[in-house]
Amino acid sequence: MATGDTALWLHNKLGSTDDLWSGATICSQLTKSRLVNIQACYHALQPHVKVKLMLSFLHIPRRNVEQWKLELEDILLTAAHDSDQWVSMVADILRPFPATGTLNLGLDESNGVFAEVNADLNKVVKRSSNVRMLPLECQFLNKTALVAATGVHPQPVKHFALKRKPKSAILRAELLQKSSEVANNKKNN
Amino acid sequence: VKIEVFSRVLRTSITSLLEGGEDAVEKNLPEFTKMVCHGEHTYLYSQVLMHILAQETKGGSNIRRLCQELQKSANEKGLDLFKMYSEMNPPPVDLIRVPAFLDLLIEALFKPTSRVNPEHKQKYVYVLAYAASVTETYKKGQRKNINRDELKPTTQALEKVQGICAENKSSSDLIADIATLFMNIKFPVIAFGILKWVDYTVSDASYFKLNTDHTPLHLVLIDEIVTNHVLLHQKALDLLVRIFESSFEELDVLVQLELKKTVLDRIVHLFSRGFVIPVVTYIRKCLDKQDTDISLIRHFVTEVLDVIAPPYTPEFMQLFLPLLENKAITGSIILEDGKDPVSEFISFYEITNIINQQQHTQVRVEE
Repeated sequence: MATGDTALWLHNKLGSTDDLWSGATICSQLTKSRLVNIQACYHALQPHVKVKLMLSFLHIPRRNVEQWKLELEDILLTAAHDSDQWVSMVADILRPFPATGTLNLGLDESNGVFAEVNADLNKVVKRSSNVRMLPLECQFLNKTALVAATGVHPQPVKHFALKRKPKSAILRAELLQKSSEVANNKKNN
Repeated sequence: VKIEVFSRVLRTSITSLLEGGEDAVEKNLPEFTKMVCHGEHTYLYSQVLMHILAQETKGGSNIRRLCQELQKSANEKGLDLFKMYSEMNPPPVDLIRVPAFLDLLIEALFKPTSRVNPEHKQKYVYVLAYAASVTETYKKGQRKNINRDELKPTTQALEKVQGICAENKSSSDLIADIATLFMNIKFPVIAFGILKWVDYTVSDASYFKLNTDHTPLHLVLIDEIVTNHVLLHQKALDLLVRIFESSFEELDVLVQLELKKTVLDRIVHLFSRGFVIPVVTYIRKCLDKQDTDISLIRHFVTEVLDVIAPPYTPEFMQLFLPLLENKAITGSIILEDGKDPVSEFISFYEITNIINQQQHTQVRVEE
């Protein structure tokens, strides 16, 4: 396929601005040679097509990513210098992906807006330590592990005094009593 | 949308979610998810930003929770960009502390119809126990120490309880194991598993038809979980509400009411253990929707008044008072001499109000 055809094909596949979650749709049709063609016509693509193309990399089977590592890295390298900020940002995030399967979390220095928002939110996050919106896995953790993960928990608000235990307490005692009787009977028989 | 505009909107949203806490998340999550999931690129960008923020030791766990909620809702929408987050080079224990993954293991071990290969079962138990009990210390990103002290007891307890649950015994046979279950329910991961098992067991259409005990044993297990684990209160309430709202059409009307009172007693237990505002809010909702037999709401009010004593917080009084002032609910339990718990609560509320007003005036006079 000539480079002009490749550009046309990409725009047909990814040109829609209504569906911005279409990254996965083209990855089954990517090949090594097609990636080389894409690299050649990359400058001619529209910004949102560039972004979607890069996001499709995340859906490529790991084995193929390893085989096409150099081609993928070439595209990301070109994209990193793009004048469109979404394009350069996504390229920056995906930079280590072909080689390691991980994302770049060291974006701070390279991007002004990102650095600014990150710094602002970091202050908010620090202030929020008393909010105690616990990560969902905390429900599973033993006490020691919980304290190690999220610190000591404040006592909950006491809305009233308890003058006696609810009915459930009697029920619990009865059940334990019955349980030990049954267990003893089983032992004796 | 320009990246600058998106970044600023994202900053405002995250700020208000963090400042509002759990309530704000519940209320604003759909809108937040919609914004972040606008496109695959906005989702990726937001998740990366939040992952960086989550590394902050102070308050970072709040952000981690936001990431998870976001991932969950995106997943429910059928959007899929998550595989790599589990590969994002995290430290070992965090790698398996992924709620969706732990949930899957619990499901395999505690769902009554689940048939797991015994060899796999042992591994599932080990991984779960490992995630629940191991702690690591890091210094400058380097792991310095792994503490496995609780791994063995957690594994053994999990094995034992899973064995009991998997036998599918009838309640009368199960009763001999109650002491063992109570003892091991102290492990959160086991309590979580038992709660799931109870959920499946009582959701079986024939469960309440066949169970003639006044309080089915499985419901008492919920009490024990509630007593031991504050973090499972919401899950327990969700389950109890679901049972409470079931129609039980096959049962006689009077038996239905008795059963619902029994479920309400569990909800009162949850209330007595500190899950106050969510419980009373739910009962208020029942009253507002007018779809609950008034005798049931009266039962709740009576049981609550039976166990509580002042001092009360203003927040609780405000929420509880409309239930007491409703004649249909309390008309039959109020005595003329005012020496009944309903009247006593109302007068306590009024006196507190007068004192507050006086203090307020005093302060203003002094000014």
